[in-house]
Amino acid sequence: MNKTWHPKNEQRNVVLKPIHKVTITDILIWGFLAAVVLAGLFAWARQFFVTGLSATGLNRPVYWGLYITNFVFFIGLAHSGTFISAILRIAGQGWRKPLTRAAEAITLFSLPFGVTSILIDMGRPDRALNIFFFGRFQSPLLWDITAVSLYLFSSVVFFYLSLLPDLALCRDQLTDVPAWQHRMYEILALGWEGNHGQFERLERALDGMAVFMTMLVVTVHTVVSWVFGMTIQPGWHTALIGPFFLLGAIFSGTAAVVIVLAILRKVYHMEETLPVSLFNSLRKLLITFTLGWLYMMIAENMTTSYGNLPDEMRVLGQKTGGDFAIFFWAMWVLVFFVPLLIFIFKGKNNIGWMVTAAILVNIGMWIERFIVIVPTETRPRLLYEITKGVYHPTLTEWVITAALFAGLFLLYAMFTRFFPIIPLWETGESLEVGESRNENAGFLPQQLGDTSGMKGK
Amino acid sequence: MGSLNRRDFLKVSAAAAATGFVLEGIPYLAGNQTVSAAGVAQDIKTSSNDVIVPGACSLCPSGCGILARVADGKVVKLEGNPMHPVNSGSLCPKGQASPELLYNPDRLNGPQKLKGERGSGQWETISWDEAIKTVADKLNALRSAGTPEKLVFMVGDPRGQLLPLFERFMQAFGSPNFVRNESLNVAAAKLGVYLTQGVYDLPVYDLENSRYILSFGANMLEAGPNPQRSISGLSYSRRGRATRSKVVMIDPRQGITGTKADEWITIKPGTDAALALGIMNVIIRASLFDADFVHNYAFGFEDFSDDNGMHHIGFINHVLENYDPAHVEKITGVPASTIARLAGEFASNAPAVAILPGRGGLLNGSIGGVYAAMAIHMLNALVGSLDHPGGVLTQRYFGTTAWPDLPADDLTVKSLATERVDGAGTVFPLARNAYQAVADRVLGGQAVEALFLYDANPIFDAPGGKRFVEAFKKIPFIVSFTTLADETAQYADLILPEATFLERWQDDDIRGFGYPGVALRQPAIDPRLDSRNSGDVILQIAQTMGDVMSAAFPWKTFEEVIQFRLKDLGVDWKTFQELGVWLIPGYRYADRGGQHWVNEVVGRDRRHAPRDGRFDFYSREMFALFGTMERDKLASFGITQNGDAINLPHYEVSAPAGDMAQFPLRLNVITLMSLGPVSAAANMPTLQEISGMTVGEHWNSWLEMNPSTAAKLGLTDKDQVWIESPFGKLQTKMRTVRALREDVVNLPYNQGHTALGRFAKGRGVNGLDILNPASEPASGLAIFTNTNVKVYRA
Amino acid sequence: MTQWSMVIDLDKCVACQGCSIACRFENNTAPATPEQAAIGRSMFWNEVFPMLDEANDYAQPRYIPRPCMHCENPPCIKVCPVGATYQDEEGIVHQNYARCIGCRLCTVGCPYTVRYFNWTQAEWETPLAEHLNPDRVESSGLLEGPAPRPRGVVEKCTYCIHRLQKARAQAVAEGRDFRADDYVPACVQTCTGKARFFGDLDDPNSTVSQFSKKRRAFRLLEETGAKPKTIYLQEG
Ligand SMILES: Nc1nc2c(c(=O)[nH]1)N[C@H]1C(S)=C(S)[C@@H](COP(=O)(O)OP(=O)(O)OC[C@H]3O[C@@H](n4cnc5c(=O)[nH]c(N)nc54)[C@H](O)[C@@H]3O)O[C@H]1N2
Ligand SMILES: Nc1nc2c(c(=O)[nH]1)N[C@H]1C(S)=C(S)[C@@H](COP(=O)(O)OP(=O)(O)OC[C@H]3O[C@@H](n4cnc5c(=O)[nH]c(N)nc54)[C@H](O)[C@@H]3O)O[C@H]1N2
Ligand code: SF4
Ligand code: SF4
Ligand code: SF4
Ligand code: SF4
Ligand code: SF4
Ligand SMILES: [Mo]
Repeated sequence: MNKTWHPKNEQRNVVLKPIHKVTITDILIWGFLAAVVLAGLFAWARQFFVTGLSATGLNRPVYWGLYITNFVFFIGLAHSGTFISAILRIAGQGWRKPLTRAAEAITLFSLPFGVTSILIDMGRPDRALNIFFFGRFQSPLLWDITAVSLYLFSSVVFFYLSLLPDLALCRDQLTDVPAWQHRMYEILALGWEGNHGQFERLERALDGMAVFMTMLVVTVHTVVSWVFGMTIQPGWHTALIGPFFLLGAIFSGTAAVVIVLAILRKVYHMEETLPVSLFNSLRKLLITFTLGWLYMMIAENMTTSYGNLPDEMRVLGQKTGGDFAIFFWAMWVLVFFVPLLIFIFKGKNNIGWMVTAAILVNIGMWIERFIVIVPTETRPRLLYEITKGVYHPTLTEWVITAALFAGLFLLYAMFTRFFPIIPLWETGESLEVGESRNENAGFLPQQLGDTSGMKGK
Repeated sequence: MGSLNRRDFLKVSAAAAATGFVLEGIPYLAGNQTVSAAGVAQDIKTSSNDVIVPGACSLCPSGCGILARVADGKVVKLEGNPMHPVNSGSLCPKGQASPELLYNPDRLNGPQKLKGERGSGQWETISWDEAIKTVADKLNALRSAGTPEKLVFMVGDPRGQLLPLFERFMQAFGSPNFVRNESLNVAAAKLGVYLTQGVYDLPVYDLENSRYILSFGANMLEAGPNPQRSISGLSYSRRGRATRSKVVMIDPRQGITGTKADEWITIKPGTDAALALGIMNVIIRASLFDADFVHNYAFGFEDFSDDNGMHHIGFINHVLENYDPAHVEKITGVPASTIARLAGEFASNAPAVAILPGRGGLLNGSIGGVYAAMAIHMLNALVGSLDHPGGVLTQRYFGTTAWPDLPADDLTVKSLATERVDGAGTVFPLARNAYQAVADRVLGGQAVEALFLYDANPIFDAPGGKRFVEAFKKIPFIVSFTTLADETAQYADLILPEATFLERWQDDDIRGFGYPGVALRQPAIDPRLDSRNSGDVILQIAQTMGDVMSAAFPWKTFEEVIQFRLKDLGVDWKTFQELGVWLIPGYRYADRGGQHWVNEVVGRDRRHAPRDGRFDFYSREMFALFGTMERDKLASFGITQNGDAINLPHYEVSAPAGDMAQFPLRLNVITLMSLGPVSAAANMPTLQEISGMTVGEHWNSWLEMNPSTAAKLGLTDKDQVWIESPFGKLQTKMRTVRALREDVVNLPYNQGHTALGRFAKGRGVNGLDILNPASEPASGLAIFTNTNVKVYRA
Repeated sequence: MTQWSMVIDLDKCVACQGCSIACRFENNTAPATPEQAAIGRSMFWNEVFPMLDEANDYAQPRYIPRPCMHCENPPCIKVCPVGATYQDEEGIVHQNYARCIGCRLCTVGCPYTVRYFNWTQAEWETPLAEHLNPDRVESSGLLEGPAPRPRGVVEKCTYCIHRLQKARAQAVAEGRDFRADDYVPACVQTCTGKARFFGDLDDPNSTVSQFSKKRRAFRLLEETGAKPKTIYLQEG
């Protein structure tokens, strides 16, 4: 067994503890989630083989419903990781370090569900490859597919790279785990040695990728919004839709991080590793996003109502006073009023309140996705009695939706049982100078000043 | 800038090129993928054997010419026959959808004999021979018993030679009880023309040449006695010529005809007579009428003295005295100023026509409907539009070869002279048919031993038709000739499935232009399943009966009958088959009074009418019937006037069924283009699917109500409501419609079937179930438009 | 180059829906069950409807028969990821059922709500399928026209592309040049009000191009910039 060098980390035992054993509770929870996933798989299989999309509540003109809502939501959720580890990395926010992996894992696991949502929504998923055979770059859907796959690919790389030293650590330290698990670490660690050069290259790669990922983050969610924005449908056809989606994505992603952190903290007793101060930092961000969201909301809806274009007003009317009024105002309460109040008055040093607000925000953001997509479809430009749309999602759609979320939770939960969810090497202490001169020793943070000048260590 | 070295230059031009590429690229990126259209023509694949068979639609009285595309033995598409003048290549949605009738999954396969109770729905399939023998035996038994008049034949709309064939059958058999369904529809309009002009037929309107078209509830674009004819006429009068006609629709609701008209005038239901008379009042006062016509070709315009020296009030004084616009406004709700304007427009835009509805508001339960028809028709006479281009013409028909004389037979002569089962001509003195009255008469004791139904579904299509179920219990033998097992057939003992119009031989008169024409139905494919042409079946029954009957019907098939009757058409049978139509176009508008005019325009019917071909502003026919009647007797016919006014068109109040305090809304059962009154349409899925286009409903009934009425009743759009009349109640969905009087609610017809087939059964409600089931006492007309209802949340 | 175009004169149209039904029978669009119809899954490539005028709430509805506009600049084509919908040189916007992946981006992209998705497998109760039009436009990787569509793909009015192809083939068979008036779509042929006209917009003498320049001519949603080639003439 090749013992390699790792930065010293006092939390090591705490962080590695969950990995030692899978508890009964875990099995029960996984079992439940797996059951939901299976139900979803069954529903999807039925939709695929038997009913087609007639199993949904979709119709003309409401051609898109829950599935596309989920797609947008999952892609949005995926912005958490990239935001925390890429954008904050560039911004040199050192406090983000303990969060990075937990956040990136959200990205990593939501993205496939976003992609799956598209497949589920396709009339002919069996022809999905046509996109590669006959792809036309004029289509926003192709931009989407390109951006999302690129995003998925780089997220995997980014995530994996930053996992490497910790995989090696697991390989080296976890001798009491089942053989297959150990073998897995061995393979995945790719023979990481932890020498100085490796760490340096790793940091440089991550820095470089962070810039790239940041660009992708902006692109991906803008492009997702353009699937809507590039049509001339009222309510969608606005230049604001890109930034709006982006902000929403980062908002819900960040809120999701709060939830995940709180759970990890509680379940895995990581109170010290994940101190309350982290929540306070996130709180500041979230306050900013809440206000940003308000700003976007006002900008968009004021423009619409002052313009008073009949087509646009019909859609706005659907939201403010029509079929979707309940959702629209619920969204305001869930995304804005209550969370803002909580963040400002209750959230400081109070994880419970923060989580409450974060959950509300995420429910609200899901509703927001729905509200952006469906009301527009119910009031198309060429309006008459039969194109006045209504949409009642069916059980199939709900089951599949539930399965997607269950799948995300399941993957996440399982991941935390087999891999260190806190990046041990990144949060580790810097080494003694003497040791660091050792060829074998890795991490020399203070010497990386030129490549990471922006980092606020 | 100065020195731009080579390196820089390259950079700049590369940038420019890049920019150029991007700019060039933008339209490509944002643009479209195009492919060449040439060369794709090889991709077409089609059937191996394609033939076109001409025919004629029978889903409404228009009888449009069709060309059926038969691909590999299947009828796959219908087009309009461009040779047929009524539709000249067009086909309405019903015509287009008729392959769904041909290939209807609910068609009957072979004659069905009742097993068990009537209405139990238990049938057994028997052979045609057995079925025909059963009928023949039954009929022979009736004749042996000396009571052939106890056979009743109720028909919907037998077309072409089928009608005289049926009539001849009844005549040879010896029953006067051949009952057509016109009392449900066009009899009022026909009476209006008959009592003024002496022709018992629907008038023909030369819409192509009219400048001003005033419709009194004639729903020309959705229904009307010849919808395709009125549609193409209106279409032409608007955009087919140099000046565009003006169309005015008078109707309590706007409907599509009112929407597409230049003006929609809302009227209080049942008051059309007053409105027409008010308009005439203004025209007369302004001396805008056609003096030549009213004085030289009409009767009773001025006061006159009869042969006995009695003084009679003429039309002019009658109208001037009673119908000034201010008074008419009170009756009709149409402002006096509008009445005056309409009068001015109508009289000064010759040629103008006032259009009689197929039913419209005429079947309003009082003889007022007949007077209304007379008054509306008189408007045309008053401005000289009668027998005039752009005005009203008389339909002429091809002469047909006379039937061979019927063998003289004492029994027949005797039984033919008995009173008609429906009371037409006796109980209902003005009536020729009183279809819906058959139920009451049978329940009242008229003995009927056998009933034939052809294209007739009285349980469903007569107001209060459910009474037929009771009446049928007194009739031991009922035979239904029908394509689909409708509500009435459910109570028959024998159903003889008829081949659809795409599978059978039949001729059909071309109506609506004045000149004579005939269209031909021919089998595009052999009859599907085990169905037969009812014409053939009637012949087979006669032949099986033997004796006088087989002697009277020497033809083997109905096709032979057509060939015999249309021998002198002037076209050989083969050409006729190829063309699908034969006609003599070019109505000759001869100088009024000339020999041509008498021969061609006035026509046979009118010259033979009791009155010398003159147009009656004072109805001599009415005088003969009612002139000497006691007041009480008159009152029993709903005539409140006395003296000359009886014979002059006037407004009679028709008391609605259901008093206003309790039932404040008038129920208006309306006809849809998509479904129409033809039952079969309700079992054609595509027609069900498009039925409620105007309100976005389908496969269902709905009740139309003005939103302010709804608000008053505390109802909102799409509420489920009860519609209750003194005769029953129905539940359906309410839809608000602005363009409708506040005191009227509309219920589209032809839903609420309880039989017929899978697509029709159990959808919506039938308004007729809660209509006044009575008959109008003088004319025997059914009552469609004066039942009041209340509406409340279900 | 021929540019196929349709003109619909609303002054002559009587909102009969004959066009809708002619199209259904010519192009084999399947009837929807009452349940499917009730949730907006009816398929009429040509639809007739009262245009919503909220200002007066149907007080004077305006009935519009609406086939595909065959836009000069079709928003539907721009967004299709696989080129399953495309325009030919003669301006007809095609739909290839063999390639469509059913993403429905075009359906939400079309401002006229003209595109229909096959939610279910098209079904006709036996023996109603007997009346299906046998014509089909088909070659490798291509399926268009009246050919029954598989579930999960989008379809729409094709200006009766198969009729055009048959007319072309006919002209070839007869050894003569194809003329614009050799071909007319089913809805135009059946129109009860004789309100529909069809022809070559590029030919200045054709009826459609003459009509397109009339004072009464307008296009639906002109503001969208899609430049429809289905043109309307106003009432009155
Ligand atoms: N598409 C289609 N057309 C058809 C048929 C079909 O099946 N389908 N059937 C044919 C047959 S059999 C017939 S008899 C005719 C019937 O033809 P019409 O009589 O023209 O048709 P309806 O729609 O019954 O009635 C016409 C209008 O009268 C209005 N109305 C009701 N009461 C009054 C009133 O008191 N005064 C006035 N002025 N208007 C009133 C109604 O609102 C309605 O709009 O249609 C024929 N045409
Ligand atoms: N409230 C209300 N009531 C109405 C009307 C209305 O508009 N509103 N319309 C009235 C009017 S105007 C009329 S004309 C009547 C219509 O009444 P009817 O003339 O009785 O017409 P249907 O009900 O269509 O026809 C009766 C049966 O004929 C069958 N049939 C169809 N095609 C054929 C065929 O080719 N041959 C044979 N033998 N049978 C066939 C059908 O299956 C149907 O069951 O209804 C009247 N009743
Ligand atoms: S108008 Fe009447 S006859 Fe003509 S196609 Fe329509 S239903 Fe048939
Ligand atoms: S109307 Fe719609 S489907 Fe037709 S070409 Fe235009 S955008 Fe495409
Ligand atoms: S549904 Fe079909 S035609 Fe429409 S955009 Fe997607 S692949 Fe293209
Ligand atoms: S042009 Fe052809 S495909 Fe288009 S609506 Fe008309 S009939 Fe249908
Ligand atoms: S067929 Fe002609 S008249 Fe009828 S709705 Fe269509 S366009 Fe209008
Ligand atoms: Mo009728």
